[in-house]
Amino acid sequence: MSEMEQDLRSPARRRLVGAGLGAAGLSALPLSAALAQGGDLVVGAAPPITGVFAFAGVGLHQGLGDYCEWRNANGGVAGRKLRYIGEDSGYKMDQAMSVFKKIMGAHQPPVFYGDSTAWAKAAAAEVSRLGTTITSSPSFASDLADPAKVPYYFMAGPTYLAMIEIQLEYINSQAKAGGKPAVAIVYSDTEFGRDPIAGAKKHAQKLGIPLVQEIVTKPGAVDVSAEVAKLRRARPDYVIFHGYVLAPIPEFMKQMREAGMNVTSMGTIWSMDKTTVDAMGAAGQGWMGVMPYRYSYDTAGARSMQAIKDFAAKARPQMSYVPLFYTHGWLVGSIFCETMERCLKAGQALTGPNMKAALESIRDWDTGGIMGKPVSLASHQIPMGRIYRYDAGSKLLQPASDWISMAT
Amino acid sequence: MRIHDFRESYVHDEALWPTRVQRAWLVAVLVALAAFPLVGGGYLVGLMCVLGIHVIAAAGLNIMTGGAGLISLGHAAFMGVGCYTAAWLAQRGVPFVVTLPAAGLMAAALGVVVGLPSLRIKGLYLAVATLAMQFLLVYVFREWESVTGGVKGVNVPPASLFGLELNTDARMAWLIGGCAVVMLIGARNLFRTRVGRAFTAIRDKDISAEVLGIHLLHYKLMAFAIGAFYAGVAGALLGYFYRAMTPEYFTLQLSIFYLAAIIVGGLGSTLGTILGAVFMTLVPELLRGGVAFAAQWTPRATEILSPIQQVVFGLLIIGFLVFEPHGLVEVWRRIRRFFHLWPFRS
Repeated sequence: MSEMEQDLRSPARRRLVGAGLGAAGLSALPLSAALAQGGDLVVGAAPPITGVFAFAGVGLHQGLGDYCEWRNANGGVAGRKLRYIGEDSGYKMDQAMSVFKKIMGAHQPPVFYGDSTAWAKAAAAEVSRLGTTITSSPSFASDLADPAKVPYYFMAGPTYLAMIEIQLEYINSQAKAGGKPAVAIVYSDTEFGRDPIAGAKKHAQKLGIPLVQEIVTKPGAVDVSAEVAKLRRARPDYVIFHGYVLAPIPEFMKQMREAGMNVTSMGTIWSMDKTTVDAMGAAGQGWMGVMPYRYSYDTAGARSMQAIKDFAAKARPQMSYVPLFYTHGWLVGSIFCETMERCLKAGQALTGPNMKAALESIRDWDTGGIMGKPVSLASHQIPMGRIYRYDAGSKLLQPASDWISMAT
Repeated sequence: MRIHDFRESYVHDEALWPTRVQRAWLVAVLVALAAFPLVGGGYLVGLMCVLGIHVIAAAGLNIMTGGAGLISLGHAAFMGVGCYTAAWLAQRGVPFVVTLPAAGLMAAALGVVVGLPSLRIKGLYLAVATLAMQFLLVYVFREWESVTGGVKGVNVPPASLFGLELNTDARMAWLIGGCAVVMLIGARNLFRTRVGRAFTAIRDKDISAEVLGIHLLHYKLMAFAIGAFYAGVAGALLGYFYRAMTPEYFTLQLSIFYLAAIIVGGLGSTLGTILGAVFMTLVPELLRGGVAFAAQWTPRATEILSPIQQVVFGLLIIGFLVFEPHGLVEVWRRIRRFFHLWPFRS
């Protein structure tokens, strides 16, 4: 190596080392947290950008981050700018907790978005102890919508149980003179899948809807012929699938159709994105389900949906369709901001108890059309949704009901 | 350069840390570990806790697999047994000084049951048998709701010592760090005893070991029991650390994580256990730190680079296995040999 080359390398190395040490210092110093308290409002997040939930995690991360950018461009929160700091959780609890502790230690964000039910449960004790932060995540697990036990957590939508109840209410509304439609429930053998089942049975009983079959499968089961045979014998009018994203739903629908069954298949939020239903192919025809949000192509009279569409078109020109995960991230961001804004406008510090009170004061709040009616977060969830049906002609999910609210 | 190390007696030759320099380093490391929770931030102390738990669990697997040659793919399930035992007892007011060993003993008892097939099968066949136990135990965790809380999981009350609740990361770091040090010394000592040598003989050739008079049933089951005991204690500490746990944590993926840790670190070596656990825990953190660093200038870096960091981590593991099949401990030994002879031979 010539002397000249060495001279060129040496400053570059020094710069690199300097930058590395600077970054390490910046991430470790509590000074940045102190500055953040007085200046920017930090929105911390550990979305699952990789791992088994990555299909949703990228959209969640983009939606929340883009909302912060959009909000900054529209004046911020009570005049203060937002700073979004998100790191990949990999959908692993250790990693999500590590990201949580890292961001909490370095920036002390007043709001934090996690990645799962397991994270929400593990972080709950520390969040309560700190009393500085309001949290949310993509989990709609029923026991997380409990202001007494998990005081600093909310979900931007209905619990899984409320989703099934909305479906049952819709099914009940379709009853004809001959009697109530018969329902079968197929769910995955996971925490996600089992969550609403006991409550769903009670609600079906309350409505007088006969629950004719209950089937548990592995999350990605392939061979479902035995289960389809059981369904065929049970002769349900509706089959509700819960605890899945895609597989084994298409296989169920295909085999049920081949078996000559005249049945309507329904799903819950994570199997309701348009890209997911498109992936079902021909089996997706007639697919229905509950969605707490409007689809991104449904912008008429919905200013937030229009804002999402415009911002995504400008910031992410390669994104041809804005998934529901993005909309969810955007809505979480707007609830975070509404909560902080209520505190700041009342002259209160951004502490956990103050923000919890502010969150619970959100009643008859307009989400800008993301959800069809004014919402309340008094119970730390929004038990509202609408039934959609997939139209294979337009390849769009179209409303099949009005917005249905459940009591909490 | 190493000097004044004459090894004039068997006692000196068998000492764990025979030289003054080693003892001085050991004291320095222990002091640094004890002081770290006071000076480290919440993130780093939390990371230390997770690392300590992984070190204890990996040490157990290394006794079983690296020491006695018994491959296990059910290590995560043993951790689960420990975690749920501790949670169940703690919910009934049993202090953690009792729940911790009880969790280890419960896991050890199950380890003996899982180890029974090891008398007839070994190698990949044993791995499959332990894999079956992994699935079976996770099924029990999900279904036995009255004890494990089912799929919703359990909450673990904080550990307390003389009325002081160990409800912060710093306090937990002392507990976990202390347990890790004690259990690592135990693991290191084990291989200087008759039991440890019997394990080594069984690992190298079990038929020959039996000819030498080693009771295979006794020692193989003991290896499973000790390995599972370590996993059980690690699981209990995990429960106390997170204070909430669901069955989805104790997956096959976690068992493979520990297997990867001891292979990358070095089979049959206590130091290898530590190095492997450090590698498997901290390298992804460092890679993610790099992504976070890049995201300060490019907001889109997180979504672009996060998937790439997993590829890099995978390549690093492959690279270590290709270039140093004996694990990181062998790299460490080479560095030590260099300094033992330095400056006379470089």
